[in-house]
Amino acid sequence: MKKKILSALLCATMVIGMVAGCGAKPASETGSSDSKDTKTEASAGIAAEDIKIGFVHVSDASDMGYTYNHDLGTKEMQEELGISDDQIINKFNVPEGAECDTALRELVDAGCNIIFATSFGFEDYVKEVAAEYPDIQFCHATGFQAASSGLSNMHNYFASIYEARYLAGIAAGLKTESNKLGYVAAFPFAEVISGYSAFYLGAKSVNPDVTMDIMYTNSWNDPTVESQVAKALIERGCDVISQHSDSTAPATTAEEYGAYQVGYNNDMIEAAPKASLISARIDWGIYVTDAVRNVIEGKEIPVDWCKGLADGAVYLSPLNEDIAAEGTQEAIDKAAEAIKAGELQVFAGPLKGVNPDGEKIEVAEGDYFKEQVDASAPAWNYIIEGCNVVE
Amino acid sequence: MASTLSSLFVAAVLAGTPLLLGALGEILTEKSGNMNLGVEGMMFMGAITGLAGSYYYEQAVTKSGGAPSGILSAVIALLVSFLAGAFGALIYSFLTISLRANQNVTGLTLTIFGTGFGNFFGEYIGLKAGGYVAVSGTTKAAFSSLRIPVLSDIPVLGKLLFQYNWLVYFAIIIAILMTWFFNKSRTGLNLRAVGEDPATADAAGINIARYKYTATIVGGGICGIGGMYMSMVTTSGVWVHGCVTGYGWLAVALVIFATWSPAKGVFVALVFGGLTIMRMYVNIPGLPAQIYDMFPYVATIIVLIVTSMRQSKEHAQPKSCGRNYFREER
Repeated sequence: MKKKILSALLCATMVIGMVAGCGAKPASETGSSDSKDTKTEASAGIAAEDIKIGFVHVSDASDMGYTYNHDLGTKEMQEELGISDDQIINKFNVPEGAECDTALRELVDAGCNIIFATSFGFEDYVKEVAAEYPDIQFCHATGFQAASSGLSNMHNYFASIYEARYLAGIAAGLKTESNKLGYVAAFPFAEVISGYSAFYLGAKSVNPDVTMDIMYTNSWNDPTVESQVAKALIERGCDVISQHSDSTAPATTAEEYGAYQVGYNNDMIEAAPKASLISARIDWGIYVTDAVRNVIEGKEIPVDWCKGLADGAVYLSPLNEDIAAEGTQEAIDKAAEAIKAGELQVFAGPLKGVNPDGEKIEVAEGDYFKEQVDASAPAWNYIIEGCNVVE
Repeated sequence: MASTLSSLFVAAVLAGTPLLLGALGEILTEKSGNMNLGVEGMMFMGAITGLAGSYYYEQAVTKSGGAPSGILSAVIALLVSFLAGAFGALIYSFLTISLRANQNVTGLTLTIFGTGFGNFFGEYIGLKAGGYVAVSGTTKAAFSSLRIPVLSDIPVLGKLLFQYNWLVYFAIIIAILMTWFFNKSRTGLNLRAVGEDPATADAAGINIARYKYTATIVGGGICGIGGMYMSMVTTSGVWVHGCVTGYGWLAVALVIFATWSPAKGVFVALVFGGLTIMRMYVNIPGLPAQIYDMFPYVATIIVLIVTSMRQSKEHAQPKSCGRNYFREER
């Protein structure tokens, strides 16, 4: 008898639950029609103390690299706009898979007005979720699909990191004695290839004999492999290592085996004081602040956003004067001025390259490749002479 | 060519050592009839506590105005990581030996717990230290390659044999000691009896619970040291999120590859280590990196097939492994 009562009760709860579930749907529909009304109102924006901001990161700030650096941008934005900590929801260590979809939806459910997804592989999920929630702004770093997606609430952003990498390359080119640089690269994607090509061109501008070995880790953030790849490069005779990978492992490995290192994303001198020369960095704060401010003020966010050295969106960490070659700072300053003034183009002809699919490109003398001009995502994916990809 | 091969050998030893330590710990555990799948968890626990031990020791000494000693810092890292791994194994032992919980489930839970433990405290200590936890140069030097006078300077051989960090030699010594222990000492033979057939061993007057507890806890401690290798040597004393991920499972695979023999473990760890880093040294044109990355796992599968075909009693998993012992159910 007791069991019967219990099962009857359970059935009743289920029915109520279903009714409630069905009931919720029209409620949300009215909700969205409400927000349609507010769409015209959206130009009025949201009060700064009501806005909620979500972030999806592939690792967390303990990588002391990419995510740490992006998180600094969040803090910069908070300070500038007076956003409190409980208005920010961070999703750390989200893999580039279905977990990203879940993370994005959780942020939507938590009531975020604007969501930043900061890793390349998140883009497909961002596109999918953005299409379902037209009232929420989605900003994806390093991607390229916002313009082609036709969604008014999806945006791409990046910075012209190749300019800073070119300058960092100068430090490496002046320091190397074996005239062989090594590069710990994540994936054979344009973002990475553009970065190391610029780095190599920077080194070559001060040291015409330099060559560079590149080895892929096939992961954005895998400290063990990064360190093993760095060691393998050093064994091949590379005496300055640079990286497009998230952690400090290449820096500490370079220090251990008596090589030098040029970092990315973060000043890595603290991790490897005897090896780290300088780092190319992005100031994400400028974009994050702009985008959030636009939502508050009810303005449109640009579909593609990309700024460089001249606007301070990319910069170099302080040079490690104790170990850098003499005259490095002067050489970097000179090139930086030229880039800011538009006199120096990183991908300037004559320049020849082949992309991983075998397509060739030739930039004529006097001409230059317009990197990150029309779209925020890097497009240079041609391997130039002197760069040797080890596979 | 010769220099590439010697570089490959050196890198293989460095990549294989944490695997060897993890595998040795698991061999000791399995010899007692406990299959602890929590190797990765215990390695994580050892990794963060070892790093934290050195870090806080340095902080304390520097604060009181002294200069930290590299050797003491390394010893602290060793002890603390051993204790942390042993603590993980103690939880496992209590659940499986005393409470007779399912060994597989408990082991998997320990992996999940240990991973969270490592990453949580790694981040926590990092945030408290200003976003970053890194040991000083003194401790780093204590974990870098040794320079043994005369021996290290022998051409070729010096590089191949006498220029590793001390943990490499430590792991090999443990492997030798364990081989002796399992084959020549009475306690070791008793332990093997417990792993093969606890009921018989019980009838012979061996204290089953005591043997199982001791072997599992010491085995866990050795796994913890393997984890400490990852945080102190591989990432040079900087805590990086998820630095052990995957290595614990490779260590479990290595146990099978080594057919439960610590001496063989040394060689197969070298092979495994070599396979994991091979693509960086030996380039076969046209072979994508993903295929290289499969090698260690393909090798494990092949070894599994071969060992199961041979059906050798000597080189098989201890018979009672994975099953809990109930005296009342004999």
